[in-house]
Amino acid sequence: MAALHKQLEILLQIQDLKAQRDELAGATGERKVQEEQFHLNVDEAVEILDDKIAELEAQLQPAVLGRYRRISKGLPRVVVPAIGGICYGCFMSIPTSVASDAAGPGQEQLLHCENCGRFIYVVD
Amino acid sequence: MVLREFFNKDVIALDLQGETKDDILKELISLLALDEKSEGILFKMLKRRENLGSTGIGRGIAIPHCRSLVVNRLRVAFGRKQAGVDFKAIDNEPVHDFFLIVAPPLEVSNQYLPVLGKIAQFAKESDIPDRLADIETPEDFLKLLEEKAV
Repeated sequence: MAALHKQLEILLQIQDLKAQRDELAGATGERKVQEEQFHLNVDEAVEILDDKIAELEAQLQPAVLGRYRRISKGLPRVVVPAIGGICYGCFMSIPTSVASDAAGPGQEQLLHCENCGRFIYVVD
Repeated sequence: MVLREFFNKDVIALDLQGETKDDILKELISLLALDEKSEGILFKMLKRRENLGSTGIGRGIAIPHCRSLVVNRLRVAFGRKQAGVDFKAIDNEPVHDFFLIVAPPLEVSNQYLPVLGKIAQFAKESDIPDRLADIETPEDFLKLLEEKAV
Protein backbone atom coordinates (compact mmCIF):
# COMPACT_ATOMS: atom_id res chain seq x y z
CA MET A 1 0.00 0.00 0.00
CA ALA A 2 1.38 3.43 -0.87
CA ALA A 3 1.91 6.04 1.83
CA LEU A 4 -1.43 6.99 3.31
CA HIS A 5 -2.84 10.46 3.59
CA LYS A 6 -3.94 11.01 7.21
CA GLN A 7 -7.51 11.70 6.12
CA LEU A 8 -7.54 8.51 4.08
CA GLU A 9 -6.36 6.58 7.10
CA ILE A 10 -9.33 7.96 9.05
CA LEU A 11 -11.69 7.07 6.20
CA LEU A 12 -10.35 3.51 6.17
CA GLN A 13 -10.90 3.22 9.90
CA ILE A 14 -14.45 4.57 9.59
CA GLN A 15 -15.21 2.09 6.83
CA ASP A 16 -13.82 -0.82 8.84
CA LEU A 17 -15.78 0.24 11.93
CA LYS A 18 -18.98 0.64 9.92
CA ALA A 19 -18.54 -2.82 8.47
CA GLN A 20 -18.06 -4.20 11.97
CA ARG A 21 -21.00 -2.21 13.31
CA ASP A 22 -23.38 -3.22 10.51
CA GLU A 23 -22.43 -6.85 10.85
CA LEU A 24 -23.04 -6.82 14.59
CA ALA A 25 -26.32 -4.91 14.29
CA GLY A 26 -27.61 -6.85 11.32
CA ALA A 27 -29.32 -10.18 11.01
CA THR A 28 -26.16 -12.08 10.10
CA GLY A 29 -24.65 -14.80 12.25
CA GLU A 30 -22.13 -12.33 13.66
CA ARG A 31 -24.37 -11.31 16.55
CA LYS A 32 -24.94 -14.93 17.53
CA VAL A 33 -21.23 -15.79 17.40
CA GLN A 34 -20.25 -12.71 19.41
CA GLU A 35 -22.90 -13.33 22.05
CA GLU A 36 -22.41 -17.07 22.37
CA GLN A 37 -18.67 -17.48 21.93
CA PHE A 38 -17.38 -14.19 23.32
CA HIS A 39 -20.22 -13.23 25.71
CA LEU A 40 -20.32 -9.80 24.08
CA ASN A 41 -23.15 -7.39 24.83
CA VAL A 42 -23.84 -6.64 21.18
CA ASP A 43 -26.25 -3.73 21.65
CA GLU A 44 -23.78 -1.98 23.91
CA ALA A 45 -20.96 -2.73 21.46
CA VAL A 46 -22.94 -1.18 18.59
CA GLU A 47 -23.44 2.00 20.62
CA ILE A 48 -19.71 2.19 21.36
CA LEU A 49 -18.90 1.71 17.68
CA ASP A 50 -21.40 4.42 16.69
CA ASP A 51 -19.71 6.82 19.09
CA LYS A 52 -16.29 5.96 17.71
CA ILE A 53 -17.45 6.42 14.11
CA ALA A 54 -18.88 9.85 15.00
CA GLU A 55 -15.63 10.76 16.72
CA LEU A 56 -13.60 9.84 13.63
CA GLU A 57 -16.02 11.61 11.28
CA ALA A 58 -15.45 14.76 13.31
CA GLN A 59 -11.75 14.51 12.43
CA LEU A 60 -12.44 14.72 8.68
CA GLN A 61 -11.84 18.01 6.92
CA PRO A 62 -15.11 19.65 5.73
CA ALA A 63 -14.46 18.95 2.05
CA VAL A 64 -13.55 15.32 2.74
CA LEU A 65 -16.55 14.89 5.02
CA GLY A 66 -18.82 16.35 2.33
CA ARG A 67 -17.56 13.93 -0.31
CA TYR A 68 -17.68 11.04 2.14
CA ARG A 69 -21.33 11.79 3.00
CA ARG A 70 -22.34 12.22 -0.63
CA ILE A 71 -20.79 8.93 -1.66
CA SER A 72 -21.97 6.95 1.36
CA LYS A 73 -25.59 7.89 0.60
CA GLY A 74 -25.53 5.87 -2.59
CA LEU A 75 -22.65 3.42 -2.28
CA PRO A 76 -21.81 0.92 0.44
CA ARG A 77 -18.05 1.46 0.15
CA VAL A 78 -16.58 4.93 0.18
CA VAL A 79 -12.94 3.88 0.09
CA VAL A 80 -11.69 1.25 -2.33
CA PRO A 81 -8.32 -0.01 -3.51
CA ALA A 82 -6.90 0.83 -6.92
CA ILE A 83 -4.92 -2.11 -8.20
CA GLY A 84 -3.04 -2.12 -11.47
CA GLY A 85 -4.54 1.23 -12.42
CA ILE A 86 -8.12 0.02 -11.92
CA CYS A 87 -10.57 1.42 -9.36
CA TYR A 88 -11.97 -1.56 -7.49
CA GLY A 89 -15.19 0.31 -6.80
CA CYS A 90 -16.34 0.89 -10.38
CA PHE A 91 -13.64 -1.12 -12.22
CA MET A 92 -12.76 1.77 -14.49
CA SER A 93 -9.19 2.80 -15.28
CA ILE A 94 -7.58 5.42 -13.09
CA PRO A 95 -5.74 8.07 -15.15
CA THR A 96 -2.00 7.46 -15.04
CA SER A 97 -1.43 10.94 -13.61
CA VAL A 98 -3.68 10.16 -10.62
CA ALA A 99 -2.02 6.82 -9.93
CA SER A 100 1.43 8.36 -10.17
CA ASP A 101 0.47 11.01 -7.62
CA ALA A 102 0.20 8.21 -5.07
CA ALA A 103 3.28 6.38 -6.24
CA GLY A 104 5.73 9.29 -6.32
CA PRO A 105 8.37 9.73 -3.63
CA GLY A 106 7.02 11.45 -0.56
CA GLN A 107 3.52 11.84 -2.00
CA GLU A 108 0.69 11.47 0.42
CA GLN A 109 -2.27 12.83 -1.52
CA LEU A 110 -5.91 12.09 -0.93
CA LEU A 111 -7.09 10.69 -4.24
CA HIS A 112 -10.46 9.82 -5.66
CA CYS A 113 -11.71 8.01 -8.71
CA GLU A 114 -12.78 10.48 -11.37
CA ASN A 115 -15.46 8.08 -12.56
CA CYS A 116 -17.30 7.01 -9.40
CA GLY A 117 -15.95 9.57 -6.95
CA ARG A 118 -14.85 7.03 -4.34
CA PHE A 119 -11.70 7.67 -2.38
CA ILE A 120 -8.98 5.33 -3.56
CA TYR A 121 -5.81 3.95 -2.06
CA VAL A 122 -3.26 2.64 -4.48
CA VAL A 123 -2.07 -0.89 -3.86
CA ASP A 124 1.34 -1.62 -5.35
CA MET B 1 -13.80 -26.27 4.39
CA VAL B 2 -11.38 -27.21 7.20
CA LEU B 3 -9.14 -24.97 9.29
CA ARG B 4 -5.97 -26.60 8.02
CA GLU B 5 -6.54 -24.95 4.62
CA PHE B 6 -6.00 -21.50 6.10
CA PHE B 7 -2.76 -22.07 8.00
CA ASN B 8 0.82 -22.53 6.90
CA LYS B 9 4.00 -22.62 8.97
CA ASP B 10 4.81 -18.98 8.20
CA VAL B 11 1.83 -17.79 10.24
CA ILE B 12 2.65 -19.87 13.32
CA ALA B 13 4.80 -18.56 16.19
CA LEU B 14 5.27 -20.91 19.12
CA ASP B 15 7.40 -18.61 21.23
CA LEU B 16 5.76 -15.21 21.39
CA GLN B 17 7.92 -12.71 23.24
CA GLY B 18 5.34 -10.10 24.25
CA GLU B 19 4.47 -9.52 27.88
CA THR B 20 1.31 -7.48 27.35
CA LYS B 21 -1.89 -7.78 25.36
CA ASP B 22 -0.71 -5.06 22.97
CA ASP B 23 2.65 -6.74 22.43
CA ILE B 24 0.98 -10.03 21.64
CA LEU B 25 -1.44 -8.43 19.16
CA LYS B 26 1.47 -6.73 17.38
CA GLU B 27 3.42 -9.97 17.16
CA LEU B 28 0.43 -11.79 15.76
CA ILE B 29 -0.12 -9.04 13.20
CA SER B 30 3.53 -9.23 12.15
CA LEU B 31 2.97 -12.86 11.13
CA LEU B 32 0.72 -11.61 8.33
CA ALA B 33 3.63 -9.76 6.68
CA LEU B 34 1.71 -6.55 5.96
CA ASP B 35 3.29 -3.15 5.40
CA GLU B 36 3.83 -0.86 8.38
CA LYS B 37 0.79 1.37 7.78
CA SER B 38 -1.50 -1.60 7.37
CA GLU B 39 -0.11 -3.13 10.56
CA GLY B 40 -0.91 0.09 12.42
CA ILE B 41 -4.48 0.24 11.12
CA LEU B 42 -5.07 -3.42 11.89
CA PHE B 43 -3.71 -3.02 15.41
CA LYS B 44 -6.17 -0.18 16.03
CA MET B 45 -9.06 -2.28 14.75
CA LEU B 46 -8.13 -5.27 16.88
CA LYS B 47 -7.74 -3.03 19.92
CA ARG B 48 -11.16 -1.55 19.30
CA ARG B 49 -12.65 -5.03 19.15
CA GLU B 50 -10.87 -5.96 22.38
CA ASN B 51 -12.20 -2.78 24.00
CA LEU B 52 -15.75 -3.94 23.26
CA GLY B 53 -15.01 -7.13 25.19
CA SER B 54 -12.07 -9.49 25.40
CA THR B 55 -11.76 -12.21 22.79
CA GLY B 56 -10.21 -14.43 25.44
CA ILE B 57 -12.78 -17.23 25.51
CA GLY B 58 -11.31 -19.02 28.51
CA ARG B 59 -9.12 -22.08 29.10
CA GLY B 60 -6.05 -20.14 28.02
CA ILE B 61 -7.27 -19.37 24.51
CA ALA B 62 -8.04 -16.07 22.77
CA ILE B 63 -9.31 -15.40 19.27
CA PRO B 64 -8.59 -11.76 18.38
CA HIS B 65 -10.47 -10.96 15.20
CA CYS B 66 -11.84 -8.16 13.05
CA ARG B 67 -12.66 -7.16 9.54
CA SER B 68 -10.34 -4.71 7.86
CA LEU B 69 -9.64 -3.31 4.44
CA VAL B 70 -5.93 -3.88 4.94
CA VAL B 71 -6.34 -7.49 3.86
CA ASN B 72 -7.82 -8.62 0.56
CA ARG B 73 -8.64 -12.14 1.69
CA LEU B 74 -9.18 -13.98 4.95
CA ARG B 75 -5.92 -14.21 6.91
CA VAL B 76 -5.20 -16.22 10.05
CA ALA B 77 -2.25 -16.72 12.39
CA PHE B 78 -1.51 -18.73 15.51
CA GLY B 79 0.77 -17.70 18.36
CA ARG B 80 1.65 -19.30 21.68
CA LYS B 81 3.19 -17.95 24.82
CA GLN B 82 3.79 -20.73 27.30
CA ALA B 83 4.03 -18.39 30.29
CA GLY B 84 0.68 -16.81 29.42
CA VAL B 85 -0.41 -13.18 29.30
CA ASP B 86 -3.18 -11.27 31.01
CA PHE B 87 -5.69 -10.86 28.17
CA LYS B 88 -8.72 -10.01 30.35
CA ALA B 89 -10.21 -13.35 29.32
CA ILE B 90 -13.73 -14.22 30.41
CA ASP B 91 -12.40 -16.65 33.04
CA ASN B 92 -9.75 -14.11 34.16
CA GLU B 93 -7.03 -16.70 33.58
CA PRO B 94 -3.85 -15.99 31.59
CA VAL B 95 -4.00 -16.71 27.87
CA HIS B 96 -1.41 -18.96 26.23
CA ASP B 97 -2.80 -19.63 22.76
CA PHE B 98 -3.85 -16.95 20.28
CA PHE B 99 -5.71 -17.39 17.02
CA LEU B 100 -5.77 -14.23 14.91
CA ILE B 101 -8.45 -13.88 12.22
CA VAL B 102 -8.73 -10.93 9.83
CA ALA B 103 -11.04 -10.68 6.86
CA PRO B 104 -11.90 -7.93 4.38
CA PRO B 105 -15.25 -6.15 4.91
CA LEU B 106 -16.72 -7.64 1.77
CA GLU B 107 -15.86 -11.25 1.18
CA VAL B 108 -17.03 -13.12 -1.86
CA SER B 109 -16.27 -16.47 -0.25
CA ASN B 110 -17.90 -15.55 3.08
CA GLN B 111 -15.40 -17.51 5.15
CA TYR B 112 -14.99 -15.18 8.13
CA LEU B 113 -17.83 -16.35 10.36
CA PRO B 114 -17.43 -20.06 9.55
CA VAL B 115 -13.71 -19.87 10.33
CA LEU B 116 -14.36 -17.93 13.52
CA GLY B 117 -16.91 -20.53 14.55
CA LYS B 118 -14.63 -23.44 13.68
CA ILE B 119 -11.74 -22.03 15.69
CA ALA B 120 -14.05 -21.48 18.66
CA GLN B 121 -15.28 -25.07 18.28
CA PHE B 122 -11.69 -26.37 18.02
CA ALA B 123 -10.66 -24.38 21.09
CA LYS B 124 -13.48 -25.82 23.16
CA GLU B 125 -12.45 -29.43 22.67
CA SER B 126 -11.38 -30.70 26.07
CA ASP B 127 -7.87 -31.84 25.10
CA ILE B 128 -6.89 -28.81 23.03
CA PRO B 129 -5.22 -26.61 25.67
CA ASP B 130 -2.89 -29.47 26.67
CA ARG B 131 -2.27 -30.51 23.07
CA LEU B 132 -1.36 -26.93 22.11
CA ALA B 133 1.00 -26.71 25.07
CA ASP B 134 2.81 -29.87 23.92
CA ILE B 135 3.41 -28.71 20.34
CA GLU B 136 7.09 -28.37 19.48
CA THR B 137 7.08 -27.28 15.85
CA PRO B 138 4.71 -25.45 13.46
CA GLU B 139 4.31 -28.77 11.65
CA ASP B 140 2.95 -30.29 14.89
CA PHE B 141 0.32 -27.55 14.97
CA LEU B 142 -0.68 -28.24 11.38
CA LYS B 143 -0.87 -31.98 12.13
CA LEU B 144 -3.14 -31.27 15.09
CA LEU B 145 -5.49 -29.31 12.83
CA GLU B 146 -5.47 -32.18 10.36
CA GLU B 147 -6.14 -34.72 13.10
CA LYS B 148 -9.08 -32.77 14.47
CA ALA B 149 -10.41 -32.14 10.95
CA VAL B 150 -12.46 -29.19 12.15
